[in-house]
Amino acid sequence: MTLESVARKDFRDALRSRWLLGLTLFFALLIGGSTALFYGVLLSGAGANSETLFGLTTAPGGLFNFSYAGMLGFVLALIALVTAHGSLIDERESGTIKLLLSLPNSRRDVVFGKLVGRTLVVIISMLVGFVVALFAMLFTGGQVMFVSYAGQVALSGLLATAFVSIGVWLSATSASQRQALFGTVGLYFIFAVLWSTVATGVPRLVNWVIEQLGLTALTAPQIVQMRLFIKYLNPLRAYETLVAELYGPAVAARLFKAGLGERLAIEATFSEALPFYFTGPFILAILLAWIVVPPLLGYRAFQKADL
Amino acid sequence: MAAIELNGVTKRFEDDEGLFDSLLPSSDADAVTAVDDLTFSVAEGEVFGFLGPNGAGKSTTINMLLDFVRPTSGSVRVLGHDAQAESVAVRRRTGVLPEGYDVYDRLTGREHVEFAIESKEADDDPDELLSRVGLDPDEADRRAGGYSKGMSQRLALAMALAGSPDLLVLDEPSSGLDPAGAREMRDIVRTEADRGATVFFSSHVLGQVEAVCDRVGIMRDGELIAEDTIEGLRSRIETDSVLRIDVDGDAALDAVRALDGVSSVETDGDRLIVGCTDDAKSRVIEAVEAGGATVADFETDSASLEDIFLAYTEGDDSAGEPEVTA
Repeated sequence: MTLESVARKDFRDALRSRWLLGLTLFFALLIGGSTALFYGVLLSGAGANSETLFGLTTAPGGLFNFSYAGMLGFVLALIALVTAHGSLIDERESGTIKLLLSLPNSRRDVVFGKLVGRTLVVIISMLVGFVVALFAMLFTGGQVMFVSYAGQVALSGLLATAFVSIGVWLSATSASQRQALFGTVGLYFIFAVLWSTVATGVPRLVNWVIEQLGLTALTAPQIVQMRLFIKYLNPLRAYETLVAELYGPAVAARLFKAGLGERLAIEATFSEALPFYFTGPFILAILLAWIVVPPLLGYRAFQKADL
Repeated sequence: MAAIELNGVTKRFEDDEGLFDSLLPSSDADAVTAVDDLTFSVAEGEVFGFLGPNGAGKSTTINMLLDFVRPTSGSVRVLGHDAQAESVAVRRRTGVLPEGYDVYDRLTGREHVEFAIESKEADDDPDELLSRVGLDPDEADRRAGGYSKGMSQRLALAMALAGSPDLLVLDEPSSGLDPAGAREMRDIVRTEADRGATVFFSSHVLGQVEAVCDRVGIMRDGELIAEDTIEGLRSRIETDSVLRIDVDGDAALDAVRALDGVSSVETDGDRLIVGCTDDAKSRVIEAVEAGGATVADFETDSASLEDIFLAYTEGDDSAGEPEVTA
């Protein structure tokens, strides 16, 4: 199985470069450290459980929202993109890919071997962070809700994998390291910043066009649904709402961070029956699609490329 | 069965900058034809020297054998397999020393060789391969990032030899090697050929291939301009001469070129350099004088193999350069 030997070689390279070590320390400090700080200093003693930090923190009246998952998602996405964006283009630019492909490795083995190797690097370092956090909670007397916690770790792994996939796609389709770097910055900006603007803007634009045509404008619930649908196509948001669902009902998870007006417009409809495209399994399928589709597109481009 | 078989192979490179450029319309002006309608074959067990100056299309041809680059048209078969569709099957039985490669900085020399052995599912002893190419155990345990060009070249050769391949494809194997290293390289090529392997290797220096090759092909501007045995090339030495004539006045170059037995005509200031057969010499001088110029002096050499190679490869399409036909 040469996919395996490509993955193993790639992983060993990450070990040698101390990238894995650096990431492990980073996640231990970030996840473990923030947990220790939260339960050790801010909220010590009885009544503290893992939901307090990892679940949804919403102040009354929706004035203030904080989600640990949202923050962790941003960080994981960035780390995964940085880890994966050079996976293929670096080897192409240096010429090591010619050694790799002089041996009986297929291009498929190379693309998916890289995907496996880089995913392991991000996931292993992330897991260490979560394990440190677990111990931090146990030592400070916090109560750990193991099922939700395990679910959160698993979802975080899926999100990291999705962004490694996107990074590998980027690396496979780029013609230079510079292009891959710009692509990384651009994609991150799209997922982290631009997407919500688009999600808000598209329904408005559609509504404006409909009004120009003299047709019946969209209803408020329709506008909210359209915005939410676009929003949850973003793997970062899909991840966040899936984590929220670990700690509460699906409707609340889908409307997490929604404004008061939007809640009033849609909550009743959702509580009656959540449309299938807002159910947990559907959102999970979106997240999984981000894992599967980008490497296939990347493989297709890489398969055709002259080295 | 032929070990390598190219049939009407053309490779045009579009100036494609990838993702972003692919969105723009491409123009033909950006395209370069690196290999043009190339047809030749290499028999099993043969040692084939692939000659030509840099940029002649040698590496592009080799890259098509290995599926690094895809032909625009034509078919490439290696060891009976389609080079593109069945590339992995080709590479399972082929040892490759590619051009423009780099070693993995953080892996040791031995790890490189172990990786090659593992990928080919072979059972070679890595130390034996390393010592064959002249890397001692101390060097093999160092990370390859610190290797010199010559050491990298030896390491890549060791990787190519893993699994006793049926075909060795070596792209400029002597580059980066000192003369002693180049000789060791030739010894290895001979040993592999004696074992029964087909060897296909490229060089821009004739001297490196003439001692080991059964047959050579010479590339220029993407075309194979000659394909012959070393003996065939040598036989040209006996018949070919180089005539250097110092001329006063304008020589009638076209008249000289048109003569029987004249293979090339070149000018260097007032000097005329003519490649021709021995019996054509006097006709050349007569033609120059008949054209109204005066022959001040002349000398003649018999052509060396190197001269023939240079005559084949150094010309371009501008006037006054040698025009040689195979």
